[in-house]
Amino acid sequence: MSKVKHFFEQSWLLIVSSFFFGLLIAVTNAAWSGRIVQNEIDKRNRLMTALIADANSFDVAVEAAQIPAAKGKVIKTDIYGALDRGGKTVGFAFIAVGSGFADKIKLVIAVDAKCEKFFGFKVLASNETPGFGDKIKEDYLGGQFEGAPAGKLELIKTGDDKKIDSEIVAISGATVSSEALVKTFNTYIGNVKEQLRAKGLTK
Amino acid sequence: MASGKTDTVLLSRTFITGLWQENPVFRLLLGMCPTLAVTAAVKPALTMGCSVIFVLVCSNIVVSLMRRLLKPHLRILMFTLAIATFVTIADLFLKAFLPEMSERLGPYVPLIIVNCIIICRAEACASKNGLAVSLVDAIGMGLGFTMTLCVLASVREMLATGKIFELSVMPEAFVPWAAMSMPVGAFITLGLMLGLVNTITKKKA
Repeated sequence: MSKVKHFFEQSWLLIVSSFFFGLLIAVTNAAWSGRIVQNEIDKRNRLMTALIADANSFDVAVEAAQIPAAKGKVIKTDIYGALDRGGKTVGFAFIAVGSGFADKIKLVIAVDAKCEKFFGFKVLASNETPGFGDKIKEDYLGGQFEGAPAGKLELIKTGDDKKIDSEIVAISGATVSSEALVKTFNTYIGNVKEQLRAKGLTK
Repeated sequence: MASGKTDTVLLSRTFITGLWQENPVFRLLLGMCPTLAVTAAVKPALTMGCSVIFVLVCSNIVVSLMRRLLKPHLRILMFTLAIATFVTIADLFLKAFLPEMSERLGPYVPLIIVNCIIICRAEACASKNGLAVSLVDAIGMGLGFTMTLCVLASVREMLATGKIFELSVMPEAFVPWAAMSMPVGAFITLGLMLGLVNTITKKKA
C-alpha cells in the first residue's frame, strides 16, 4: 500500500499534466484537422490540374487500389480520373510514395487516358537535401518524364536528357533521390495500369 | 514604491539580456540546428522565430506556474511534456493556416521540441522564478533568437537571390551567389557574424 502511495506522491503531477496536455492537443487537432485535410486536398488537386492541362474536375476512378511494395507490404492509393468540360476522361492521376535519401517522397503522377504515356509528376512532399536531392522538383528531371512511355523506366547516369524515352538521366549529386523517383514510378505504374484495365477504364 | 521600481528594473534587465548579453545564438550558441537550416530566406526564418517565441512563452508560463510542485528527478520529463505539447500546437497551426510555410520548414518545426533554448530557459529561469520574470525572459530570448535568424536570413537571401522578402534590393548587374542558399552559406554567414559580434563585445569590455 505504501508503495502505491509513494508512486502517486511522486507522479501525480506527471499523470495530471499528461492528461491535460493530451486533451489540449486533441482539442486543437479536432478544431484544425478539417482545415489541414482540406489544404492537402487543394494542393493535390492543384498539382493534378498542373499535370493534366485539359482536366476540369477529378473523380475517384479506383478507390484504395492495392500496390504491392517491397518486403511484402501493400500500399493503398486512390486513382483519380481527370475529366474535361464535356465529362470525357483525359487522363488519370495517383499519389505514389517512395523512400528518398532523407525521408519518404510523396509524388503525384499523371498518365494519359490510354495509360500509354506519362504526363509527368509533381512532388507533393519531400524532405530531400536542399541543394542536392531537392533538385527532383526542378524541370531537369521532371521534363524527362513528360511524354515518357508509361511502363518500366530505367535510370542511367549519363545520356541525353532531352530525349524522351524510358531512360531517365540521373541528377548529378542526387543519384539516390533520382533512383528513388524511378523506383517509385516502376513500383506503381504496372499495378495502376492493371487495376484500370480490370475496371474497364483502359484497354 | 521602491520594490515596484526594482521589479521594473529587473524585468527590463531580463528582457535586454535575452536580446544581447545572452543572445541565444550569438552569445550562448544555442539553437544552432534551425539557425543553420531555415535561414536561406527571411520568411521561413521569421516563421520559425515566431513559432519558437510561442513555444518559449507557453512553456515558461507553465513551468513557472508548476515550479513549486516539480519533483527534481521528474522535472526534465515535465519540461519535455509541456514543450512537446506547444510545439505540436504550433505545427498544427502552421499546417492549417500557413501550409506552404509548414512544408518549407519541413521537420524543423517538430524539431523545436529538442531546441536547447527552450529547455535551457525552463531549467535556468522558469523553474526558479515567478510568472512575470519567466514571461519577460521568454519574450526577450524569443525575440533575440528571431532577430538573429532574420539578420542571418536577410544576408543570405540578399546574396543568394538579390532579394529580401522577394523584393529586389541589389543592382541588376549583381550575379546571385547560389552557394549562400546552401548549407555552406549558412556556416560562412554564421561564422562571420559570430566573429563580428565577438569583436564588438571585446571592444566594449
